[in-house]
Amino acid sequence: MSQTNPVALGRKEADRFNKGGRLRVLLRRAEVGAFFVMVAVVVAIAIASNGVAFNALGLKNNLSIISQFGIIATGACLLMIAGEFDLSIGSMIGFAGMAMAMMLKWGLPFGLGSATPATAFFVTLAMTLALGWLIGFIVVRSRLSSFIVTLAFLFFLRGLTEVCFRLINQSTQISGLPDYKQDSWFAAMFGGQSFGWLYDLWFALGGNLNRSGEQWVTGFDARVVWWLLIAAAAGLLMARTQAGNWIYATGDNRESARANGVPVEKVRISLFMLTAFCSTIFAACQVFDTNTADAAKGNLKELEAVAIAVVGGTLMTGGFGTVLGVVFGAVTFGLVANAVFFIPAIDGSYYRVFVGVVLLTAVFLNESVRKRITGGI
Amino acid sequence: MAEAIMRVEGLSKKFGPFTALNGIDFEVYRGEVHALLGDNGAGKSTLIKILSGVHKPTSGKIMIEGKEVEFSSPRDASKAGIGTVYQDLALNPLMSVTRNFFMGREISRGPKPFSWLAMDQMAHITHDEMVKIGIDISDPSQAVGTMSGGQRQTLAIARAIHFGARVLILDEPTSALGQKQQMEVLKTMQRVRLRGDIAIIFITHNEVHAKLVADRFTFLALGEVIGRGTRADLVGEDIRHLMAGGVDIGDLQKELEAVRSNRTAAAS
Repeated sequence: MSQTNPVALGRKEADRFNKGGRLRVLLRRAEVGAFFVMVAVVVAIAIASNGVAFNALGLKNNLSIISQFGIIATGACLLMIAGEFDLSIGSMIGFAGMAMAMMLKWGLPFGLGSATPATAFFVTLAMTLALGWLIGFIVVRSRLSSFIVTLAFLFFLRGLTEVCFRLINQSTQISGLPDYKQDSWFAAMFGGQSFGWLYDLWFALGGNLNRSGEQWVTGFDARVVWWLLIAAAAGLLMARTQAGNWIYATGDNRESARANGVPVEKVRISLFMLTAFCSTIFAACQVFDTNTADAAKGNLKELEAVAIAVVGGTLMTGGFGTVLGVVFGAVTFGLVANAVFFIPAIDGSYYRVFVGVVLLTAVFLNESVRKRITGGI
Repeated sequence: MAEAIMRVEGLSKKFGPFTALNGIDFEVYRGEVHALLGDNGAGKSTLIKILSGVHKPTSGKIMIEGKEVEFSSPRDASKAGIGTVYQDLALNPLMSVTRNFFMGREISRGPKPFSWLAMDQMAHITHDEMVKIGIDISDPSQAVGTMSGGQRQTLAIARAIHFGARVLILDEPTSALGQKQQMEVLKTMQRVRLRGDIAIIFITHNEVHAKLVADRFTFLALGEVIGRGTRADLVGEDIRHLMAGGVDIGDLQKELEAVRSNRTAAAS
């Protein structure tokens, strides 16, 4: 008889899974890696900028870029969880911005008269959603990789944007549009301010002062609200609704999801429409904030959206990731992108160096977290 | 004898000029395990694909509780109470046990598809259904990727039963598993069998496993039934003989011996 271990014989299969205590459960959450990277970056930038990055103006400027990133990264994250990619986000932003500004300057298409901010926005949204549907439809029907299909749309939409600008506008940019946000609540919803009360309160408590002792900053950009709304809606969708379960199932293993009755085609097409929606919101905030549009707007934003989703713990091959992680990722990425403005000692060209380092660090951390959760897959 | 829950008569399937199945008859009873044995290419897969609604038979009929049925999709078959657990199990490794259990059939409230998931209720049901057939998972929110092969098989079986399977088709549930895991799966099958209301069709090419749990046997070779019987009817040697498609493999040891001595002869 060979040697046996009496302890091992009494064990059951279920005993091998150590559930652990409360802290262990918290540390097994998918966004824990992204959270620690975010904390590290916040602390590092606060120290390096001597607190300037988080004073009244620094906070506003940082949150402005964080919410820009956050809006598109949320869409990209959900699409990635479903196992697909969208490289057309940047070009879609350019296209949507062009369409809105062009309508505001030259009137609605087909001679429907002059445009208001609302009509310009909704006509544009209808077009971008249709484009998102078309991209999804092509991906689903052709069974081509979404990487290739959306790469084609990256070129196609950017080209189309330039062509429209040159044909109709004779110039690749529009500037000097009226400041719609002053008297249109609809435009102010995108280009105006938000959380004014927070800065009022800050002022009332004795902070937020400029050099002459008056209130310095009056509020965040309106896009902060859009980011929070989109992230909250997407977070609840993924964690708590049937659609969320379908999205995870579609990205994890499409065939088994299909076999269990998940409408994987509809899920994927809807998510391509979601990224188009997020791009349109991004563009609307930009157009109504600055009253300009440019054929180059949104350039490279698709890669930044993917990078943020990955920093936030979303798995490139689908089936895993959380919206909360992407919120952390957007904060990290936005702060790093803006860091050069707040740290006088370093040159602006360091931006991408930081981004690369943070991206790789976050991915290593997220991989080890994910392997602990999913049993090494 | 009680009425068969499912009866198949003269089932044939042709793919162009190729006859995959030819005149298959067999029946399954509640509370019994019916082993469907045969070597690779015997037509086992084609048969279960017809029974689960993936393919349509060229001729012959399928009757459930005496009524003839026709399936035009896997959904029809599952509505009629046929639950198929394929080898890949249709599980998603990155998702939790509960989310896998209810994948595509979530319990939720509100307008679909944005309806609110009843996570606690689903976790309870998952846990209870798994305990019923013998596995007490410690945490229904753990990812399926952390479970063993045997546990996954049990999860897939529990899911099929919960969603109304009265005829459970298990496609080679013990292959690709380690020894201990195989025994777990066989025990699970035994527990399902003892419930008494479910018939199991057990597809395998492992005669040892079939002998351990099956009440009834059907042997396929080259698309036809070459033998059938109850556990009492068949003796060990018959089973092995039929498994090999009617060819004798009794002298396997001698043949192997011959190969070895040939090699030694060539070497010296």
